[in-house]
This record gives sequence, structure tokens and C-alpha cells, in this order.
Amino acid sequence: MDRRRTFWGLVLPPGLWLVAFLLVPLTLMAAFSSRGDMRGGILRAWTPTAEQYQVLLETGSYTRLLAVSAGMALLVAVIATLLAYPIAYFLAFRAGRRAPTYLLLLLIPFWTSYLLRVMAWKLILGSGGALNSLLIGLGLIVEPLRFFFYNRGAVVLTLIYVWIPFAALPIYAALLRVEPSIMEAAFDLGATPLRRLQRIVLPLSLPGLVASFFLVFIPTVGEYVTPLLIGGSSGSMYGNIIQDFFTKAGNWPLGSALAMVMLVATLLAVVLAAVLVDVRRLVDI
Amino acid sequence: MQKFDHPRVLIVLGTVALLLTACAGAAPPPAATEPPEAGPTQEAEPTQVEGSLTVLDWAGYDAADFWTDFQQAYPNVDVGFEFGASDADIYAKMAAGDQADIFHPYTGWGQFYVDEGLVEEIDTSQLSNWDKVPDSMKALGQFNGKQYCIPWDWGFTSVLYRTDKVSGTIDSWAALLDPAYSGHISTWDDGPGMVAVSSWIHGWDETAITPEQLAQIKQEWTDQRALNLFYWAGEPELTAAIASGDVWVAYAWQGAYATLLGEEVPVAYANPKEGRNSWVGLYCIRKGTENYDLALKFLDAKLGEATGNNLVNLYYYGSANQDVMNGITDEALKAAFSIDDPSILENTNFTPNLTAEQRDAWTAMWSEVKAAP
Repeated sequence: MDRRRTFWGLVLPPGLWLVAFLLVPLTLMAAFSSRGDMRGGILRAWTPTAEQYQVLLETGSYTRLLAVSAGMALLVAVIATLLAYPIAYFLAFRAGRRAPTYLLLLLIPFWTSYLLRVMAWKLILGSGGALNSLLIGLGLIVEPLRFFFYNRGAVVLTLIYVWIPFAALPIYAALLRVEPSIMEAAFDLGATPLRRLQRIVLPLSLPGLVASFFLVFIPTVGEYVTPLLIGGSSGSMYGNIIQDFFTKAGNWPLGSALAMVMLVATLLAVVLAAVLVDVRRLVDI
Repeated sequence: MQKFDHPRVLIVLGTVALLLTACAGAAPPPAATEPPEAGPTQEAEPTQVEGSLTVLDWAGYDAADFWTDFQQAYPNVDVGFEFGASDADIYAKMAAGDQADIFHPYTGWGQFYVDEGLVEEIDTSQLSNWDKVPDSMKALGQFNGKQYCIPWDWGFTSVLYRTDKVSGTIDSWAALLDPAYSGHISTWDDGPGMVAVSSWIHGWDETAITPEQLAQIKQEWTDQRALNLFYWAGEPELTAAIASGDVWVAYAWQGAYATLLGEEVPVAYANPKEGRNSWVGLYCIRKGTENYDLALKFLDAKLGEATGNNLVNLYYYGSANQDVMNGITDEALKAAFSIDDPSILENTNFTPNLTAEQRDAWTAMWSEVKAAP
């Protein structure tokens, strides 16, 4: 009896929170996506219509942009996870007593504004930035090179940089659960460090890797701030279009429809990935 | 069950409770209202008037400089500000039932508020500064033959360009689509704005763009995207890029021009043969507000001289108060407003009111330009 009470006592508050601030808004958004237009005020009743989805599908460029955004998100997630793995490995197995200090250092970027971290790349990649100044100073070029910035490449690079500290955390948590005695046993049985990594550490930390990948992939599909700041005219992502329909056009129905399509597509992609890709096979367990 | 026997906890709670009541008690008592001066027909002195107003405005416009006349005259009135990020945002808030007494849309969006029954008519006889506003400005706040809003701030849009990077003078809006400046162009991130530019270039009626014309406009701006470095959302972003030499030719408001002149960057503000654009900011009163009289006083004070001077000198925006405009002496500002050349205003395209269909179609067109492969 007591355990039931404890269970509900712990689950109810976050549950209610999720219902109020996740399920209800999502339902409202789904409802808005069935609206024809915004005339007559926000709160007037309307007859549901699939018109917005029709417009969406007929304008082929929106779905194409969603695919491109998902592709960029995939690239960012894979590279960020791969780069985060050595950091997490170091923290878990090599840092020893200094691990908390290094973890703190890893987390310090979170304490700065997201916008600052993005704009910092302008100081590096921009026409007056560090990279160009270096190349000009070395005499390799005369005019600054402009292809580093205001394009999709700059967006991908910046997003990888922003996500690496996030991606390291689930992997670190998973690696902490690897028993040191297993590592010792492998050593005693003659395994090289590489073999140990491949046959023991990697398979055991797989849940953390997968969590890390999806932690980065899912939000990046809908990313709009970074492309807005440094993507340039041709670097828009799907999230920018949604934002434009809500804030510039006041066209909530079409914006909601775009958002619902992204939600469903992302969920489908994740489910499909979980079903089709047996990651354990990839890692040769 | 253990007896609840923690005197320390009680002492702490008691102390906290005492502190809270002390803090509440320390709050200043509300200012005593003095009785009106003379008989019942005379209004209370402005300095004695009390009340509160809420204004839905753009970020930065809550600065005390922009309502200084009202502050001086009515120091006992509380003015609170809410913020909107764009015309669409402000419109969405008001349509959803925001209780702000006053709000600040720009020309082009004014008609929507009238159509949706969100504005009160302005009793201009109560505005002491109304005669300082030129008739052409007054007309911009009129809808369906009635004065629903007052004009307050205005400015130009034109082509701003680096004279040291561009050979010759630019005399047409078509410069924004010129491949000669590839990679160094920047336009505002706004669909209706770009539709207007195309209409001027082609000589079309910007209030009556047909679907075929819109399709052509979409194709032209999709092609232009390859020449465009980035779409700017705010003037600081644009001025930094022009000052650094990344952008040579831009769609810009004259605030950017004045700022760059002040930074001694070699720029010029074109007088395109198709004419510059001008936009005007409006202040309107929400329908059903209980503070109608106070709101009118606020609007009247907005048109005041000190407020207007701050608007001109701090933001380089024009004031609807013509006396303020006539009193400008700064040479950079005079150049920015083309004050010495009255023919500029005659050739200017003032932003017309958008219809809801145009708003939806033109913003969707712009999203398709951005989403195009």
C-alpha cells in the first residue's frame, strides 16, 4: 500500500506537468492545424479541414527541406556522438580523482548563453574572424574567404560544437556502470586495450551511445536559431519556416501543420531506426 | 508515531513569518489622492491624476525617452509595458484578448485591427498636438473614413550601399538583384517587403498583385537568394555587416544609414527612380478599454516635442510632429531624412494596407523562397 502511494506521489507531479505543458499544447497545435485560416480571432470555433496539409504536400519544397534538415541532424548527431565518446571514456576511466573537476569544466559552456556560443563562431569563421586573419597573416590569401560562413556547413559545424558536451553525459553515465573487475578480467585473459574497447566497453555502453545519438538528433531536426544567425540566405532549416509562419505571417494553422508533420516524421524515423537497425550487430557482439 | 517536538523549527517558521509581515508592512502606502481643485466641471490637475496604463510595444520602446512628455505631465500614472516581437506577434496577442490599453502596429497591418473590431476611434479634438501632424500622416491612421490610430514614428526604406565598393551611383531597386554584387547583398527578412520591391521594379500596382505576378516574384527572389549573403532581421546585424565590408548593397531603413554615417563608413542612401518606400508606426487604443481618457492623454503626449526630439536623435526615426522635423539641425540626420529635398517625399511609395489574403499569400511566398532547393 505504502509503495503504491510512494509510486503515485513521485509520478503524479511530473505526469501532471507533462499533461499540462506537453500533451495539452500538442493537442492544441494538432487542432490548429485543422483550421482554414486565422480570420475571426484566435478563439472562434472552426470546422476542421485538411487544407493546410494539402498545401504543405503540394508545396514540395517544405517536405524536401524537412528531409534536408533531418539529414543535417543525422550528420550532427553522428559526429557529435563520435567526438563525445572519447571525452566520456576519459572521464570514466582515466580521470580518476579529478573526474568531477573535468566534468565541471565540460559543463561550463552550459552556463553561458546559447546565442553567445553560436555567435562565437562568427568570430572564428567570419570574414574578419580568426581563421581568415590567420590565413591572411600567413600570406596564403589576400581577400578573406567567405565560404566558411553563412551556409549550411557553418550551421553543422556550430551545432556539433554546441552538442558535444550534452552528448558526452549519457555516454559517461553508461560507462560508469562498467565494472572495473570486468576490465581487469579481460586484461588477465590477454585482451589488448583496443580489443577490450571493442568487445566489452563499447557493447556495454551502447545504451548510452544510442541515448546520446537521439538526444542530439531529435531536437536538431527542428533547430532554427543557429541557421537564423549564421546559416545565411540559403541555410534555412525546417524550423525557420515554422517560426516564420508563427511570428511573421501570423499563420498558425499552416505553422501547426508543418510542426505536426515534423513531429510525426521524427517519431517514425526513430521507431524505424530502433526496429531496423540492430546496433549490437554493428558492434559485433 | 514520533511526537512533533521540534521547537527549533517553530522558531524558524515564526521568524520567517514575522519577517514577511515586516516586509509587507514596509511597502509604501498608496499615494493619497488630493481633492480636485475647483468645482465639479474642472478636471484634476495632471500631476494629481492617478491610474495605470498598459502599452503593448516593440522592444526598446519602453525607454523613458519615448514617453517623456507623459512622464513629466502625469508622474502619478503607472505605465507598464508588454512586448511584441513583430507585427504578426502584436496582432496575434491583441486578437487573443490581450488587455493592453494601447498598442503599436505599423502601416500595412492597421486594417486588420479595424476589421476584427479591436480598436477604439480616436477623439482627435482631445489631442492638443494634433495640428502639428501633417495631413498625409493623419490619413495613414484613418480606416473606413475614421481616425482609429495616430501616426508616431516614420522612416524611409531605400537601397543603402558602400560607395567605395560599388562603382557609380545606384539609382534603382533592381540593384538588390544585380549579379554584379553577388555574395554582398542583404535584404530584410520579410515577404511583403520584397513583393513591394518587385512591384516597384516592374511598375506593377502593389495593392493588386495577381497570382501570375506573385509566381514571377517568387522565382526572381529564389534566384536572388544565391546572390544574397543573409537576410537581416534587425538593424544592428546589418550595420555591422556593412561596416565590415561583407555587405555592399542592402535594403535598409534610414536608421542604418544614419548610424553608419556616424561611424564614418563611406555609404550612400539611394534615391531610386522607382521612389523610396516609407513606413509609419501607429499607436492605437484597444476597444473596450476602461482607461480611454488616460490613453488619449498618453497618445497626445507621445506627439509632444521632447518625445519627438528623442525619437529623432536617439533612433534616427522621423517624428509625426512636423515642428520636431523642422527643428533638426544635425547634418547627418538632415541627409538621412532628405529634409532639404521635399521632392523625395513626393516620389515616395507609402506602405499601403495589407489585406488578410495578401498577408497570407506573400508571407507564404517568402517561406517558399527560403525553402526552395
